[in-house]
Amino acid sequence: MTTAHRPALSGTTGDGGESRRPPAGVPARRRRFRTEAVSGYLFVAPAVILFAVMGLYTIGYGFALSFATWNGFTPNWKWVGLDNYADLLWRDPVYAPPVQAAALNTLWVMIFVPLLTVAVSFPLAVLLNQVKRLQGVLRSIYFVPYVTSGIAVYFAWRYILQPDGAVNFLLGQLGLGSLQEPQGWLGNPDTALGTLIVVIVWGNVPVAMLLYLTGLQGINPSVLEAAQLDGAGWWRTNVSVVWPLLMPLTAINVLLNLRESLHGFQTFLVMTNGGPGTHTNVLGLEAYRLAFLENLNPTLGLSSALGWILFAVAMVLALINLRVLRSRV
Amino acid sequence: MRIRHFRTARLAAVAVAATLTLSTLTACGGSEDPASGGSGALEMWTFKQTHVPGLQQAATDFEKATGIKVKVQAYTPDDAFATKIQSAAKTGDLPDVMETHSDGEDLGFGASGIAAELTNVVNGEWLNRFPENVRESGYVNAAKFKESQDEGSKMHGVKQGARHSVPFTIGTFGIVYANKKMLADAGITKPPANWAEFVDGLKATHAKDAKNGGLALGLKIPDTGITWLAQPLAYSMLGRSGYEALFGKDKAANWSSPNGVKVLQAYDLVTPYWMPGTQTLGIDEADQAFAQGKAAWLVGGTFTLSFLEQNGMKPDDVYAFGLPGDAAGQVPDLALGPLALTGLILSATSEQPENAKKWMEYLSQPEVAAKFSKASSDLPATELGSEVSDIVGPTLTSLLESFKGTPDTTYDPARREFFPPGYKQDKAGSILVDMSPLKKASPEETGKKLTELTDSFWADGQ
Repeated sequence: MTTAHRPALSGTTGDGGESRRPPAGVPARRRRFRTEAVSGYLFVAPAVILFAVMGLYTIGYGFALSFATWNGFTPNWKWVGLDNYADLLWRDPVYAPPVQAAALNTLWVMIFVPLLTVAVSFPLAVLLNQVKRLQGVLRSIYFVPYVTSGIAVYFAWRYILQPDGAVNFLLGQLGLGSLQEPQGWLGNPDTALGTLIVVIVWGNVPVAMLLYLTGLQGINPSVLEAAQLDGAGWWRTNVSVVWPLLMPLTAINVLLNLRESLHGFQTFLVMTNGGPGTHTNVLGLEAYRLAFLENLNPTLGLSSALGWILFAVAMVLALINLRVLRSRV
Repeated sequence: MRIRHFRTARLAAVAVAATLTLSTLTACGGSEDPASGGSGALEMWTFKQTHVPGLQQAATDFEKATGIKVKVQAYTPDDAFATKIQSAAKTGDLPDVMETHSDGEDLGFGASGIAAELTNVVNGEWLNRFPENVRESGYVNAAKFKESQDEGSKMHGVKQGARHSVPFTIGTFGIVYANKKMLADAGITKPPANWAEFVDGLKATHAKDAKNGGLALGLKIPDTGITWLAQPLAYSMLGRSGYEALFGKDKAANWSSPNGVKVLQAYDLVTPYWMPGTQTLGIDEADQAFAQGKAAWLVGGTFTLSFLEQNGMKPDDVYAFGLPGDAAGQVPDLALGPLALTGLILSATSEQPENAKKWMEYLSQPEVAAKFSKASSDLPATELGSEVSDIVGPTLTSLLESFKGTPDTTYDPARREFFPPGYKQDKAGSILVDMSPLKKASPEETGKKLTELTDSFWADGQ
């Protein structure tokens, strides 16, 4: 029907119908076109408005704020140009040193969280993939840290890590009293940051493991069989065949964990508040402090500037990651 | 028919899209909650859970007397309360009355337009109910106005002569609580008379029970160490001028000087006796640990007693006394100056400002304040007269003793005019925590770092 109808239409136009069509047809088509366009715009309007308000406006507002001093309530902003960035990075003797110290702590977190997450989740996924029975149950158990992560879990960790907490108790029971931490694992500046990294890794491993598991289940079994026929053992197969095949997933896991390490601060806020002293202060926490815990001091602009610095670092990391992915895949 | 159906469906879809668009716009606009003003009840927020029973009792009496209902709500801890107020101010959900920290936070809220001006509301009769030294709390006097001129000040923008809060509770920091039983077990039968005896006492209880015999203080909030313990000690050792010089630019007299190092060395004497992990505890958590018998000593304020009671500790079970002075110092008999700790502010957006003012005035009436004090075990700003000991009980009465001193022998934590502009105690506190209890720095190194910090604020102020 449709194909039969078309020649008739094209015949009309082919006969020079475009110019010979009744003049009333042009406005009618235009009207229909306009109506369709308007209804189309209306359909997308809610999403566009939401994005404009929640996305573009907020981003623009935050960016503008990074060039001003304001406490969130006074009627006027004071424009300071790039001063906020300079003050945070090197110039202000009050604000720059804590930011520099927090940057160093953040760097350690960014190095060790992705590294340990991959180091734990990949072998765990390989082992779980080889379990024939109760795989679903085990997968659920390993996923528990992710679904329970939150304020309550961080508080639970605090109790576990206290001087009279479960970790010290367990070490004592195992005859490893010399490894006990008398000030608690979060109370000693030498162990606090490392302990927090372990807690963050504990929370991040489930998702990373699940990603690896999906990758493992997507590997063609004939590839593995071929490796075994060539004499590769379990270790060799995993190191030389499986690991390279899952490299894109490793890149994704590393990127996700880097982003979390760079921006995340809730673990630090709840468990140590950056302490003892300032030994576990990180950039995300410093930005939060400058925004909300300065008791109405005009530091929202500094906080916003720090947020944009973090954004710039995240962009660079994402681009590097993209480059690595392209060259590997 | 199909075309009509299509048109109908399209019209319906367009209508739904338009509705969604409008609802989006509506959601983005300001909201007006009819319940906030329509219910007739006043709303009051506080950050002190221990004040809730006393305030609720007062609210019940106030309703009987005036017919005006008051709903009291606590949000803790302090940081959560501050962010709650800021977010509520943004969304137009502020309560009518708020109890906030005095002499800083209240004026900050005033400068930000959150707190209404009470200049013509709080008259002389109302103010005369308070001790003379706290009457200016919440008022922008010349010194406060000068401080507010710094563009980095949270008070920047307040008007000289304006009042933004009215005193509600008074008290002071640097109050030591000691578990009588644990002290008796260590052979101590009376509170220490000076700093050396205090350190000896710590040593004795710690020797008796290394796990539970130490000193608790919520050092997760690092400014507690410097403001509640180190600064009163410095005042006792150096006297007023020597103490104020610690924060000055003169290297011969500030923290890195021999005087400064001497104070830090004295403070460092308590390092072996901290409760394990006290640096990971917040203020309330440290108080709880003491109430649970995990520490023999606790440093807090006059307000701590009510929290200890709430956590099951009887006032008779503790010695409570002002921080003992250094016997060889400039001020051996150290007194701790009372200051307004909390004040009441009226929300600038209150829909019932007249009722709210009546409630604020009602809370300052002597008989109401007395009932509040009894219910909350805290000291109201309103003077309670000669029967104060009957009202507040013997333990709080003993704390009132720590207020008695001459201007020269009294450490007044409210005085800040010698601090560099924008000075932040938490940064100094973090440096001190590194020395004690963390043992990451010596007193000499700590003195240098504290001087660097104060210098940075002086430089920033310029």
